[in-house]
Parts: sequence; C-alpha cells; structure tokens
Amino acid sequence: MRPDGDQHAESADGLGSRPVREPLAVGPPVTPPPSRAPASPTPAARPVAAPPVGTPLRERWAPVVVDRPVTSFEPRPANRPPYRSDTIVDAWSTSHFTVRLASIRGYSHRYYGTPRQDDAVVAVHDPTGSLIFAVADGVSAAERAEVGANLACCTAVTGMLAALDSDPRVPDWTHLVESVARRLVELARPRHGPPGSDPERAEELFATTLVAGYARPSATGSLVTLVQIGDSGAWLLDRGQYVGVLRQKSDPDSPVFSSAVSALPQLPTQIRPVDVPLAPGTVLLVGTDGFGDPLGDGSGLVGDLFREVLASPPPPLGLAHALDFSRETFDDDRTLLAVWPLS
Amino acid sequence: MPEVRGQLLPVYVMADESMSMNDHIGELNAGLASLHEALMAEPMAAAKVRFSVLGFSNDVVVRLHLTDLRRENQLPELFSRGATSYSAAFTALQLHIPQDVASLKRDQFQVHRPAVFFLSDGQPSDSGSWREPHRRLTDRSITRAAPNIIACGIGDAKPETILAVATHPDFAFVTIEGTQVGPAIAKFCTALTKSIVASGRSLTTENPELVVDKPEGFRMAIDVI
Repeated sequence: MRPDGDQHAESADGLGSRPVREPLAVGPPVTPPPSRAPASPTPAARPVAAPPVGTPLRERWAPVVVDRPVTSFEPRPANRPPYRSDTIVDAWSTSHFTVRLASIRGYSHRYYGTPRQDDAVVAVHDPTGSLIFAVADGVSAAERAEVGANLACCTAVTGMLAALDSDPRVPDWTHLVESVARRLVELARPRHGPPGSDPERAEELFATTLVAGYARPSATGSLVTLVQIGDSGAWLLDRGQYVGVLRQKSDPDSPVFSSAVSALPQLPTQIRPVDVPLAPGTVLLVGTDGFGDPLGDGSGLVGDLFREVLASPPPPLGLAHALDFSRETFDDDRTLLAVWPLS
Repeated sequence: MPEVRGQLLPVYVMADESMSMNDHIGELNAGLASLHEALMAEPMAAAKVRFSVLGFSNDVVVRLHLTDLRRENQLPELFSRGATSYSAAFTALQLHIPQDVASLKRDQFQVHRPAVFFLSDGQPSDSGSWREPHRRLTDRSITRAAPNIIACGIGDAKPETILAVATHPDFAFVTIEGTQVGPAIAKFCTALTKSIVASGRSLTTENPELVVDKPEGFRMAIDVI
C-alpha cells in the first residue's frame, strides 16, 4: 500500500483484514446533519453476528452495517417541491409473480438535503398477466433530476401497458423509448415561451437513465424483455450467483474509474431489447448503480447480504431495510426491484 | 468486476519548498491545517479522498502519503529548502501515482483519476528540462492513471509556465499582480479545500467531475498571456 519508511504508512482504509458485514448492527451515535463536528471515529469491523434476542426495536431497525459505516447523522429534508418521500416501498404478488421494490434516498442526498433522484414504477397488465416495470436514476447534474426519473418511469410503464393492450406480442421498444425522451423534452418547454423543442434544455433539467421492461408468464416459464438507456442494470440471481443481463457499468481493465453516463432524452443510435428467461428459483433484479456499484460481481459482502435477503421474498419492508445498508463512500440513491416467478 | 469496497479520489498537493518560500512556508502550513479542519467537518466528502502532500525543491519529500484525513490528528509540516526542480516534482508523481492507484485497486477500491494541486512561487531552476517528465506524467498512453493537474503560480511564477504545467487551461491560475504571496497561499488552500469537498461529493454521482475553484486573488493564466 505504501512505500517503506513512511511514518504515516497505513492501508488505504486503515484495516489490515478483510472487512465483514454486521447484520442489524447499530451504527455510530446519531449526530445532527452537516455538523461541524469531527467525523465520528470508525468502529473496528466485527464478526458477523445476529442481534441477540431482546435487542431493542430501534437497534433492530438500525441500518445494516457493511464493513465501515457511513457517518451517522440525522437526515435533512429534501426541501423543494413537489414533495418527494425519502423511500418508496412496494410488495405484492399475482398468480404469476411476487414483487418486492424499494427506492431509497442516498446518504449523500440525506446529508445535504436534496431529494431522492432514483425512481421506479411497477404494474400488472391484467389481460396477459405480465409484469411491467421501469427503474430510473436521475442524473445528479440535471437541475430537476428527480422529475426526469419519475416522468421516465411513469411514461415507460404507461406506454408499455398501452402497447400490450393493442398488441400483446411485442411492444415497439424504439417507439417506447423515443416517447419517453419526447415527454422529457415536452416538459422542458416553457409554458409561455415560443413553440419548438429544446432537447439540450431538457437534458439540463431532466437527464435520467432508464431500464424498462416486462416479464410475461407462459406455459413454458416466464420470459423477461428489457431495454437499457444509461448505466442502471439488471441481474439474475440464480443459485446464489449474480448474472448481469445488461451492459455493465465499468471496465475492469480501465486504469481509473469513471461513472460518466449517457442518459435520456439523448437516444442511443440503436435500441436493442434483451430477452432473458426467468426460471423458477431464479430472481430478477433491476436496479440503479447505487445498488450495482457496491454489489460489483456479487462475490463480496454486499452480495452476501442480498443472497441472504432474497433467498425468498422478504417481508414488505425487508428489502428496503437491507437496501439502506451503510457502507462508507457508497452514498448514492439506491433502487432495487426483485421479481420471483411463481411457476 | 469484483466487489468494490469504496470509490476514492487520490489528491496530491505538490508544493514548492524552495528557499524563496522561506518567508511564507508558515502560511502554507497553516493553510493545509485549515484544509484538514474543514475536511473533518465534511465527513461524507472526506471519506472519498486519499490525500498526499509532497514538497519539492532539488528533490521531492513525501510529507503525507495516501491518507484518510479523518484519521489524522494533524498534518506534517513543509520546510523551505534548495532550488525549484519541476523535473523532480513530475518524476516523483510519475513514480507514485501508478503505484498508489494500483495499490488502492488491489485493496478493491474503485479509483477516480487522481488530482494534483501544484503550487509554485517561482521559475523552475531546471529551465526546459522538466517538460519531458511532465509529458510522460500527463500522457495517458504512457501513464494510464495520468492525473489532472491544477497549477497555481504565485510571486515570480510565469503564466506561460503555469499554463504548461496544468492539464487544462481552466486549471491554470496565477496571482493578480501586486498580490502578497502569503495571503495568496492562504487563498490557494481555501480553494483547494472547496475543490476537494465538491469533487468528493460528486464522486458517486452519474457525472463525477473534478471541481476546480479559482482561488480568490488569482486569475486564469490563459487570460494573462
């Protein structure tokens, strides 16, 4: 890690051993937001241990600590209209699928008092029993990223439902994505300004990634189709292994990391849907990079956490609690949709 | 991509320790101390920075290496000594940066392109010979983790030289004529702090960027030439 002889030498994180996850461990004492107090001392990593029987309820609800926790603090409100909750949770089943969804404001946005810029929408197309979903990650540099992410999800799901109503076989994915981009541009148009579109202004205001798709049941098993704009991702959790089914965010051979992203309303030259069979016993995961970055290839502590949590559908709030895990430097918004096929 | 333990920005302060800094080294040390204090109050941003301080004159002395400033009680001091060898500065960075990036990646961190804040109060004593080590350091086909260099010239530093050191014209600053060296150093440190906090905050966003604040009392070098 460091050249010999440097008296300040220590490993980059000050740890000499492999980090461990602490399920349901309690973080450091809560401090006020943007405090001027020094950073709280980092507790040493401890072995994995379940909370003992009789653990106070508030401790059981403390964030799951993975390795070193984020500095503990009381969040600030996302103080700008429209109202936007810190977290959204959804949980239900149909005769074909069980769904768990959580979208959580990242620690950084909580700390600095900015809104959650991730969003997700999931719905059922009753005539076909299909599950329709969209996950979006508003680009932080955009002025109203949260509005862009919300509009992208709503437009994509509404569009897919309408497409399936008119032809239950194959939605026109290019048309769908173009319609989302068009809505973003329309929303950017000043109400009382001159007519015409301004895609650049829409990008400044509402840039967002999008993964949209649907899972349709059939006699031979379920099939998932996905489209991806930007770096949000999708995985199959199959026998404990995370298998990425969309383009991965980072190049492991790159000397340095860059998370620069392409985003709507910009359109790629070609929109290629990806088909994935969803076999019984497999879980479909669709998430933003707030989940995908710390997951990596799933071989580490975050992968272990979600292997455990997703082994079967967790209680309605269980996925949100796990997704709110605390690990230093991972402070982005996190969104995760998990889908279990029932046949 | 194996599991990532965190996302980090290596930051290097490469400070001129030549004898001409003798009267102002205290201000530089005080500025770095206040940077440390400011980062302690920004734990979310500070968690993502690994901080190094190197002093250069005839050679380079590593005063602080790849440190999490939240875990330091105080920063080491710089000392004025010798001449102003830019060659020594850039050669040392080309040695340290690839090693540091590789080391952090071995520890399963994702590493953003390093940032070097270069501060000099005079002309290089090695005239033009520093340009070749500088080229090797900043050529991304040679040094794959080549840093972004933000260069600040004060006192006798020539705008042309500072512009040549910076990796982008927007990253080159010189003091406004008549500015006192001591206060200019303090303002450099204030801008450095703001840059580190803002850059650290942006790291886990979709468009991470190196945020560079023009120090108060400085102007863009390109505007002076």
